[in-house]
Amino acid sequence: MSPLIEACDLTKRFGGIVAVSGLNLAVRHGELVGLIGPNGSGKTTAINMLTGHLAPAGGHIFLRGTRADGHSPSEFAAWRVGRTFQITQLFSRMTVLENMLVPGLARPHSHKVAVTRTARRHLEFLGLAALETLQAKNLSGGQQKLLELGRALMLDPEILFLDEPFAGVNPFLRDRIIELVRTLHADGRTFVIVDHDIEALQRLVQRMVVMSRGEKIADGTVAEVREDQEVLRAYAGV
Amino acid sequence: MLVAAALALAFPFMVNAYWLSVGVLAMFYAIVAASWALLAGYAGQFSFGHMAFVSLGAYTSGLLVMTFGVPIPFGMVAGVLMCAIVGSGIGFVCLRMRGPYLALFTVAFSEVLRIVIVSENEVTGGSGGLEVTPLFHGRTDAPYYYLGLILLVASLAIMLFLVTSRWGLFFRAIRENEDAAAAAGVKVVRFRILAFAITSSFAGLAGGFYGHYIGILTPDIGSVDQMGLVVAMAVIGGAESIVAAMIGALGLEFLVEALRSYGQWRLVLFGALLLLTMRFARNGLLALAWQQFNAILPLPLRDVVGGKGQLGTGTASSPQPPTARGGGVS
Amino acid sequence: MTNYLLIQALNGLVIGIIYAVIAAGLTVIFSILKIVNFAHGEVYMMGGYFAYFAIALAGIPPLPAVLVAMTLSFALSILVERALLTPLYSPTTERKGDYGILVTFGISIFLRALALIIYGPYPLRPPSFWPGVAVVGDLVMAWDRVFAGGAGIAMLIGLVWFMNRSPWGEALNAVSQSRESAAIVGINDQRFYMLAFGLGGALAGGAGALVGPIYSLSPSMGLLPDTQAFAIVILGGMGSVAGSILAGLMIGVSESMFVALFPDPSRSLTYAQAFSLLILMLVLLIRPTGLFGRTHVAME
Repeated sequence: MSPLIEACDLTKRFGGIVAVSGLNLAVRHGELVGLIGPNGSGKTTAINMLTGHLAPAGGHIFLRGTRADGHSPSEFAAWRVGRTFQITQLFSRMTVLENMLVPGLARPHSHKVAVTRTARRHLEFLGLAALETLQAKNLSGGQQKLLELGRALMLDPEILFLDEPFAGVNPFLRDRIIELVRTLHADGRTFVIVDHDIEALQRLVQRMVVMSRGEKIADGTVAEVREDQEVLRAYAGV
Repeated sequence: MLVAAALALAFPFMVNAYWLSVGVLAMFYAIVAASWALLAGYAGQFSFGHMAFVSLGAYTSGLLVMTFGVPIPFGMVAGVLMCAIVGSGIGFVCLRMRGPYLALFTVAFSEVLRIVIVSENEVTGGSGGLEVTPLFHGRTDAPYYYLGLILLVASLAIMLFLVTSRWGLFFRAIRENEDAAAAAGVKVVRFRILAFAITSSFAGLAGGFYGHYIGILTPDIGSVDQMGLVVAMAVIGGAESIVAAMIGALGLEFLVEALRSYGQWRLVLFGALLLLTMRFARNGLLALAWQQFNAILPLPLRDVVGGKGQLGTGTASSPQPPTARGGGVS
Repeated sequence: MTNYLLIQALNGLVIGIIYAVIAAGLTVIFSILKIVNFAHGEVYMMGGYFAYFAIALAGIPPLPAVLVAMTLSFALSILVERALLTPLYSPTTERKGDYGILVTFGISIFLRALALIIYGPYPLRPPSFWPGVAVVGDLVMAWDRVFAGGAGIAMLIGLVWFMNRSPWGEALNAVSQSRESAAIVGINDQRFYMLAFGLGGALAGGAGALVGPIYSLSPSMGLLPDTQAFAIVILGGMGSVAGSILAGLMIGVSESMFVALFPDPSRSLTYAQAFSLLILMLVLLIRPTGLFGRTHVAME
C-alpha cells in the first residue's frame, strides 16, 4: 500500500546550519509513529516541512502520491493534515468554542450549525465542554494543549503531527493524552508524535523513528530501536 | 437603541446650521474610524495609510467629475473601486510585513501619495485645492446629513455582518496568531488582502462623500495628522469594536467643534487623550464605561447589558465571568 | 557641471552624516526596547527648537546650545519613557507590539501638535554656528554644513566609544542581546531602558540642533527624517550601528544626487521628499532584514 505521506531526501538549511539532511520517511495510513532524537536533531523542522510551514531546500514531499512540498500550511490543512505545536499556539483572546470553529468553518462547504455540533462533540471528547465560553488564554497549560489537539481534530485530519504533546505535562494528563490518542487512532487516524518522553511514546507507538543531527539514524519497532547502538550513542552525546 | 435612532433622524431639526455641518463631518469621520478599527483593531493590520485611501477616493471622484463630467454617483463608485484595487495591491505587497513594518510602509505610502498630489498640481490643484462639484445644491446641509447617515448605517451594517460571519472569525484568528490560523486552514493571504480591500473601499466611499460635500479638496485630508485624529477617535472609542470606534468618532468630532475656540489646542488635547487612553484604558473609554456601568447594575441585569455592549466587539470583556452568551459569536 | 555635482555630493555626505546620527539613535532604541519608535522625528524636531531657545532666551552661544539641546532631548525622552513606555516591560501587558506602535505614533502626533502651538507654524532659523562659507579650490560649502558634518561624526564616534568602552555601554550591549541573561548577571533592566531611550533621543535632538541653522525649524520637520531614519535603520540592518552609519551616508548622497539630476527642476524638491520614502518602501518590500541583518546592537 502506498504511503499516506512520504518525505524523500528532504533537506533544510538555516544560514550555515543544516537542520535536516537527506531525510527519507514514509508513513502509511493507520500507523502510530514516534519521532525522537536529542535536541537539535531536526525533528520539529521535519514536521514543519511536512505540514507546509517551511519549504524544503531540497527533496520532495508526497501526500497521497501527489507532490506537496512548497505548498502553504492552509493547503496542507485543507488536505487533512493536522498538527499541534511545540509551544501551544492558540487564538488567545477568542473563546474555546471559537478556537474550534475557525478550522471547522475554514473548510469548504461547511455550515455553522453542523460545525458547531462537531466542535462541541470534540470538546466533550476532550473534556473541555464546560469551558466553551472561556477565552483560550484563561485555560491552564494542560487544557490549552488539549484545545490545540481539538483544533487540529476539526480538520477531520487523516494524519496528525503532534509536536511534544507531553512536554511539561503532569502524569495524569499524560495518561489522558495517551488514552485520547489511542481512541483517535482506533478510529482510523494516523499519528506521528514527536516528543522527548520516550517512556510515554513506548507505551503508545508501534514504530519509532530516531533522528540525530538532521539525519534519520533508526527506524523500526520500539524494541529494535531500544537496542540500537547508534541511537544510544546519539543520546549519550558521543 | 431606538432613542438613539430617533435622535439621529431628528437631528437636523434640532440644531442650527453650524452644528448640522459638524454632524455631517461626524458621519464622515465615523465611517473612516469604524473602517480603520475593522482593519487595525479587528483584523490586526495596523495600517497608518488609511487616510491615503480617503484621499484617493475623494480625488478620484473629484477629478472624474470635474474633468470628464461624470455624474457624481458614478464618480464616487469609481473612487470606491479605485480604493478596492489599490487597497488589494497594498494588502498584497504587505503580506510578508507584520506589525511595525506594516505601519511604516503604510505611512510611507500615505506620504508619497500626498506628495504626488501636491507636486502634480496642474492636475490635482496641489496645495491650493481642487474645486469639486457639490452633491446637493440647496441652502441647508440636511440632505448631506441624511446621506451621510444612510452611508454610515449601511457601512456599519455591512461591517457588522462581516464580523459576525465566519470571515470575522478568520480576521480575528489571523490577528491572534497568523501561523496557527494558517495551520487551521484559514487562507491567510486571501483574507489579509480582503481586509485591506474592504476597509479601503469604505475609506474611499467616505472620501468621495467628503469631497462632494466640502466642495474643495486639499492634500491635507491624507496627511499623517488626519490619520492621527482618526486613530485617536478609534482608540479612544475602542479600537477593537467597530461600534465603539464609530461612537468615538462621533463624540470626538463634536468635541472638536465644541472646542473650536481653542484652535490648535484641540489636536494636542486629542493626542493627550489618545496617550492616556492607551496607557490606562487600553480597550477604549467606551469599554471602560461599560465595565463601570455594568458593575453598578444589580446582578440580574448585568449579563443582558453586557451582551449588548459587545456588539461588533472582537473580544469578550475579560473581567466578566463566563456567561451564557459568551463572546462575540452569534 | 562636475563641480556642481561634487558639491551636491558633499552636501549629501553631510546630510548623510546627520541621517546616520538620527538612525543610530533609533537603532539604540530598537535594539534595547525592541520597539519601532514613531516619535523619533519629533524628538529631533524638539532638539532643534531647544537649541534655538537656548540661544534666544538664555543667550547661550550656538555651539554649547547643541549640547544643551542634547541634554534636554535626553530629559524629554526619559520623561516620555517613564510616563508611557513602562507597560512594555510588564508581563501583564498584552500585545506589546501593537502598544508600541500606537503609543509612539500617538506621541508623535501629540508632540507635533504641541510644537505647533508653542512655537507657531512659521519656520524659525537659529543663528549660525560659524557664519560664512568655506572655500577649497572650486568647492564652496557653508561653514554650518561643515560644522554639522564634523559634529555629527563626533557624535557617532562618541556613541561607538560609549557602547564599546564604557561599562554602561557594555551593559546596554548585553541587555540588547538578551534581557534575561543580563538580568541574571545583575544588570537592572529598567534603568537601561531609560538610558537607551534617553540616549537615542539625545542623538536625535543633537541632530536637530545641528540642522537648525542650515534648514530652519518647523513643527513638522520631524516627519520626513523619521521615515528616512527608518529606511536607514532597516537598510543598515536593524540593530547594527555600523550598518546604519553606512546606510545613512548612502542615502544622504544618493538623495542629493537625485535632486541634482532630476529632470524637472520645478518638481525636484517636492519629489526629493518622496525619495527616502520610496527607498523605505522598497527596502521593506525586498529585504526587511537589511544589508547587515542583525537583531542586536553589535559594534565593529
